[in-house]
Amino acid sequence: MTYFTHPIRIGILISLLALAAWLAPSQSADAQRTGDAANGKKVFERLGCFACHGAAGEGTPAKGKETAPPKIAGTHLTLQEFARTLREGKGEMPSFDATQVSDAELSDVYAFLKTLTSQQKSEPPSSANPQNGQHLYTAIGCYECHGYQGQGSLQTGGTRIGPPPLPYSGFVAYVRQPAGQMPPYTSKVVSDAQLADIYAFLQSRPQATPSKDIPLLNK
Amino acid sequence: MSPRKKNSVDRREFLKNAAAGAALLAAAPAATAIPKTPESKAPSALPISPEAELRALRRAAVLTEGRSGSDFMVDVIKSLNIEYVCSNPGSSFRGLHESLINYGGNRNPEFITCCHEEGSVAMAHGYAKIEGKPLLIMAHGTVGLQHSAMAVYNAYCDRVPVIIIGGNIMDATRRISQVEWAHSVQDAAAILRDYVKWDDLPISLQHFAESTVRAYKFAMTPPMMPVLLIVDGELQENPIPEGAALQIPKLSPPSPPAGDSGAVDEAARLLAAAENPVVIAGRAARTAAGMTYLMEFAETLQIPVIDQMDRMNFPTRHPLNQTDRGRDLISKADVILGLEVNDFWGAVHSFLDQVERTSTLVARADAKTISINSADLFVKSNYQNFQRYPAVDVDIPADAEATLPSLTEAVKRRLDAGRKSALADRRAKFAAAREQSLQQARDAAAYAWDASPISTARLCQELWAQIQNEDWSLVSSTAFVSFWPRRLWAFEKYCHFIGGSGGYGIGYNAPAAVGAALANKKHGRLSVNIQCDGDLMYGPGILWTAAHSQIPLLTVMHNNRAYHQEVMQVQIMANRHSRGVDRAHIGTTISDPPIDYAKMAQSMGVFADGPISDPKDLGPALARAIEVVKGGQPALVDVLTQPR
Repeated sequence: MTYFTHPIRIGILISLLALAAWLAPSQSADAQRTGDAANGKKVFERLGCFACHGAAGEGTPAKGKETAPPKIAGTHLTLQEFARTLREGKGEMPSFDATQVSDAELSDVYAFLKTLTSQQKSEPPSSANPQNGQHLYTAIGCYECHGYQGQGSLQTGGTRIGPPPLPYSGFVAYVRQPAGQMPPYTSKVVSDAQLADIYAFLQSRPQATPSKDIPLLNK
Repeated sequence: MSPRKKNSVDRREFLKNAAAGAALLAAAPAATAIPKTPESKAPSALPISPEAELRALRRAAVLTEGRSGSDFMVDVIKSLNIEYVCSNPGSSFRGLHESLINYGGNRNPEFITCCHEEGSVAMAHGYAKIEGKPLLIMAHGTVGLQHSAMAVYNAYCDRVPVIIIGGNIMDATRRISQVEWAHSVQDAAAILRDYVKWDDLPISLQHFAESTVRAYKFAMTPPMMPVLLIVDGELQENPIPEGAALQIPKLSPPSPPAGDSGAVDEAARLLAAAENPVVIAGRAARTAAGMTYLMEFAETLQIPVIDQMDRMNFPTRHPLNQTDRGRDLISKADVILGLEVNDFWGAVHSFLDQVERTSTLVARADAKTISINSADLFVKSNYQNFQRYPAVDVDIPADAEATLPSLTEAVKRRLDAGRKSALADRRAKFAAAREQSLQQARDAAAYAWDASPISTARLCQELWAQIQNEDWSLVSSTAFVSFWPRRLWAFEKYCHFIGGSGGYGIGYNAPAAVGAALANKKHGRLSVNIQCDGDLMYGPGILWTAAHSQIPLLTVMHNNRAYHQEVMQVQIMANRHSRGVDRAHIGTTISDPPIDYAKMAQSMGVFADGPISDPKDLGPALARAIEVVKGGQPALVDVLTQPR
């Protein structure tokens, strides 16, 4: 559940996808650069990078025609390449100026990504129950901003989450500590197991029929 | 007037005595004894029963055989070419009411019966958005003005002209019952004074004439706003004094205030030299001409327009309409021009309503900002709709529509051939971006396309398919349906949209839609209203008004069975306190029992269908309802919908 009323957050959600192009192995000219990985983790969370790339930077498997947010754990980009990508943007990825993330913070995020070697899966536990997830989705109010099918709404700021465009770990991390307008859900309100059920429900939502095949959407 | 049976008291003799008494009052020193007139009885130590009081008044009553003061008031109102008077009846303006329908023939203005004063004013609000001029509203004493208050505030915030006449009984000795005392007020205008542009209390008929024409002029001068006249019941009901030399002043249509030439030139200099300028349009277009001016300006500079759609400012599918990319463009802009933007500060900042409320500047710190806004020409203190202070670089307190032509010319003077060529490249880029954002909206709309409750995207597109080849007018907001009409429909004409409420006071939409449809009626337009259920329940009686007055309007219910914005607000608090959100529906939903809006509308004489929950049934239901509307009647289709 993501509440990206903040336009910068929206940009983050849709755009970090473009990092994929920069993930090819490269010469680490910045191998000596030592950012503050601990602070980098905080900045990573503040910016909501995990919403697309997962809490461990594991990325999201591609589904259908969608461009998948890539794995960024242990990035092989140079720091200069990483900085240029964030400063200039690329593809759907917007630029981030110094008022949004300073050069030092950028280096810290880079250092944090270098520490990530996680092979964490982007799927909920196999025991997750989508039927219970559907019930929970309505009961705890996810539908209010995201619609009963997770289709999202521009007015509420709730982005489309059905089927989920973000990895499971990113989903859980965002629900617990949203970067945008969404109110945080603590484990007291919804447990990890319940979140897994909700995620499974969202995964069960069908991809939309291509709009070109819906006559009413071509008028 | 038809002859009337005379009362036992001779009218001329009575007037003669009354005039003599008044002259003595004016001339006599304080100690001079005042001769008794029929109504000036000595105070009694014993209370007088209401019945005895009425008998005494009847003895003194005089039938008016000639013209009453209210007849002259009708002459004044007719001189202003006001088409309708929307009112719930009230005794404090019974004189004017009777004169309007008899002396005035109930034409120009025609009396539109309303079930609530909030509906009366909101009808005038919607009407003015289409017609560009005010209606007359009459409200009864304390209670009527109090009922009208919310709608007056909406019109004030939305800068819409409305003429309000409030009845009152000023002379305490002329109030005949407990009720009339309760409905009388020392300073009636104080009820609304904080959110009307001007008010007056005429004490003579000539005073009424001049104040009414003055009120109309003030209401129609940008920034347009409601105006209020308190009209004494006695002034309405008593005869026009013999020999009175009454005149109706000529209305001189005000010229809207245009921007100072030096400031306009400075704005043009910044805009012409900018590499990434952007326009934010709020209430930029007051009339259809405003749309034309904005298009010419935008095309001169090939500048992207972000349309907040407080008015119908800019065609939605124009290549330079970049509303969907608004924040991204603002964040990159080197010059930002705001045209009648209600909240300029909010347009260049983001605001996060989390546990800690924070704001962030979205615009570049070095961006130059220009504001053209007539709101600065008239500001009041108490109500805070003036928003946070925007520290702009070039501040032009003027009407944007009136200023745009000179700004465009000033920009043209600064563009040489080379610069024009460079600007042409901008257009191609924006045209591609506009196509992309339209496609993105279509792709987003495809999700939950077949869902039940019906998605708001499906609702809007089923409606669009039915009206797109008609002369249509959307007379409701698009916000509550996720802005789908703005994102997917082709808005091209000024009448295609009327903007929002201004003050965000719920209960506006239904009557404003009826008022706008009333204005569209003579143009033969198909008025369509996407109506939120919570809003309609504030004043459902407006459906009866639409049926009674045969106002053709298609109302499509966006029935999500909740005050949905408030569900989300309560959820925010529940999450903040980690208490669970399973009770957020308490006090925020209207689902138990579910309201059958079709039956409700039918009970008031409106053709209605629904509730419809299967999207496949929606198109045929809309087609049936549109046939009714084309026949000159209102119709309603109740649709069970997704929240937003």
